[in-house]
Amino acid sequence: MNTVRLYLRSMGILLKSQMQYPLSFLLQTLAQLIMEGGEMLAVILLVNRFDHLNQWSAGDLYFFFGLMSVTFYITECFGRGITGNFPSMVRTGQLDTLLIRPRGILTQVLCSAVDPRRITCIAVGTFSLALGSGLSQVSWTATNVLLLAESIFCGCWLILGLFLIEAILCIHSVKSVEIANALTYGGRSACQYPVDTFPGSLRTLFTVIAPFALVMHVPASHILGKPIFGWPAWAAWISPLSGILIFIIMVLLFSKAMMYYRSTGS
Amino acid sequence: MKAYLSVFRMRLRMETQYRGAVLGGVACQAFFGLILIAVYRAMYAGKPQTMPLSHVTTYVWLQQAFFRMLLASDAELMDKVRTGGIAYDLCRPIHLYGFYYARIMAQKLMGSLLRALPMLIFAALLPQGWGISPPASVSALTASLAALLLGLCCVCAMENITMAFTMRTLDPRGFQAMLNLLMMILSGNILPLTLFPDSWQQAITLLPYAQMLDAPIRLYTGEYALPQAPGVLLLQGGWTALLVIVGMVLWKQNQHRLIIQGG
Repeated sequence: MNTVRLYLRSMGILLKSQMQYPLSFLLQTLAQLIMEGGEMLAVILLVNRFDHLNQWSAGDLYFFFGLMSVTFYITECFGRGITGNFPSMVRTGQLDTLLIRPRGILTQVLCSAVDPRRITCIAVGTFSLALGSGLSQVSWTATNVLLLAESIFCGCWLILGLFLIEAILCIHSVKSVEIANALTYGGRSACQYPVDTFPGSLRTLFTVIAPFALVMHVPASHILGKPIFGWPAWAAWISPLSGILIFIIMVLLFSKAMMYYRSTGS
Repeated sequence: MKAYLSVFRMRLRMETQYRGAVLGGVACQAFFGLILIAVYRAMYAGKPQTMPLSHVTTYVWLQQAFFRMLLASDAELMDKVRTGGIAYDLCRPIHLYGFYYARIMAQKLMGSLLRALPMLIFAALLPQGWGISPPASVSALTASLAALLLGLCCVCAMENITMAFTMRTLDPRGFQAMLNLLMMILSGNILPLTLFPDSWQQAITLLPYAQMLDAPIRLYTGEYALPQAPGVLLLQGGWTALLVIVGMVLWKQNQHRLIIQGG
């Protein structure tokens, strides 16, 4: 509980400091809106030209896009320490200062940054979710709401876990490893479409190794009433938990990697 | 002229320094290309279009190969404005606009060539329906290379204008990001311009953003027939000239109102 309080307090302080330059903050937030708006525009224009993708209608596609965008940017907003700052902390040796404090490394890294500019991305995602569920006539029963919440919650841990891969590689190589982006940003780009869009090997990658399909597409397709893979309802409740599993595995690997950490000395 | 050429050459050499990082970036970019193509293939399977799928895959690979050309390349200038280091540049007995134009062009040229070569080889090795197709004809290739060169000049002129605007504030990140994102969308990087609604094509291909990569790619695939090529090149040249003039005027104004931050 103490850790949660510490995190919230850090967030408060960081937010305050970010608001010191309101105009700059506003412009950067607007830029994020254009970025995510552009991504959504691409989906809208594709739907406009092609009408549907396999069995998924326009509304379904907006729903999948919205789910990914909300989940990904909540993670980028509150997990900025891991998703953004970690490589530079290793390179500059800033990580050393965390080692001498009586708290876990990951806790401190998470407490070190927040990115409120992402709020507009989350807004675009929410809009897309609402639009999609309207077009596909989703009935918002309590179970559906709960399932969506579970999917988003587990999705955040999954994405944090995948960003930890980059952090682990970074501890070993010092330089930030771009190839790890294939799973994180690549996963975002790919899995804003349902996973059955993709041929065999890409589908396996995003179902087994980076299980976006299990965490997002299985519950989302259940909510839309068109279960992907033909899985039963209880599977839609269990499969998102794989995101948390991935996070736990990555945390264990991370603490193992920290044993090999050598300071850059600068 | 000699001064600008040597700035250009120096920057070319600097860009070739981190070849390992370049390869990692290319691998990542190639993966993104594969994802995009998988999506377009699935879409095409549901509802085939008049434009063949091979044009779309070629479009994606050429965009991925020359992606670096569109990225903002000179982060140093912003730092110089903030720290006051710009004073050194002002002392140089050369035209400031030309100095930065040469720098940016060298970065974009070498940066994209280094990435384009491995990317195009990779794309050419992919199976039919995934990879890049050969150009429509030899003359189409020649025309598209000419257009690519003009596109490079156009993109550099555009970036100089972006920088001119951003020099006016001390924290240009927001404004700069907005202009760059607009460029990504309207130049066909996020979604090929050829897949935009047909009714938009007329207007969207006239914008300066379409002159950078979209026009060369359409010449390459034969989307623009050869007789259209002179018109396309003329449009590119016209936009480039206009953007250079606007940029020069803005930089001139900036030099008069520039405040050197002490440090």
